[in-house]
Amino acid sequence: MIRSHFLNMVVFSVLVAVFFAFLTQARTRDRVRVVLILGGAMIVLSLIVAYVMYPFPMPR
Amino acid sequence: MPDTAPDPSSPQTAPAVSPLVPCVLAWLVPGLGHFSLGRRGRAFAFFAVVLATFALGLFSGGTSSLADEQQPLSYLATFDNLALGPIEVIARKVSLGGLVYRLPAEESDPRRQQILSRLRERVRHPTYEYGSTYLLTAGLMNMLLILDAFDIATGRKS
Repeated sequence: MIRSHFLNMVVFSVLVAVFFAFLTQARTRDRVRVVLILGGAMIVLSLIVAYVMYPFPMPR
Repeated sequence: MPDTAPDPSSPQTAPAVSPLVPCVLAWLVPGLGHFSLGRRGRAFAFFAVVLATFALGLFSGGTSSLADEQQPLSYLATFDNLALGPIEVIARKVSLGGLVYRLPAEESDPRRQQILSRLRERVRHPTYEYGSTYLLTAGLMNMLLILDAFDIATGRKS
């Protein structure tokens, strides 16, 4: 069981990226490219969204 | 008839089996549909990824969704879980204690109270949300695999 939020996000991103790489690409080189771009984009965009949300806490 | 026109009687154009067969196989075991279509490398990769996602969901305290009349979206989530095929039974057994697919509507129904108390136990798990998301994602992945197997079997995708 993974308790770290960040690690969960990374594992989830990698699994989804690998899945779509195999689903959409036929060559290994293209698959690696998709994993890097898609996985990286998911992680970086999530961090950006997290920082954008940071000054706006939920009202209590 | 032009030379390039496909001959319907040709064994190359006529599928040996119905395109629904790989779809059913893909539903039974993730990746089996692609394996039956000769995409063995992809099949093993899909099997590993979907199974890893499913296992992470289960070990993270995830719960299978229940169809609830008061929450219409729960029907979609339950359908998504069912797309995972027979292995979804394991998740349902572990998370809900049995093959329960619908939350009884009657508030006084003892089965409803039993299921809800079981759900409350699961929700206390620190990674419950992650686990349920992993389980839903595994179902969505298998749904895409079923559609992909159909596209390959019908010749829409090489």
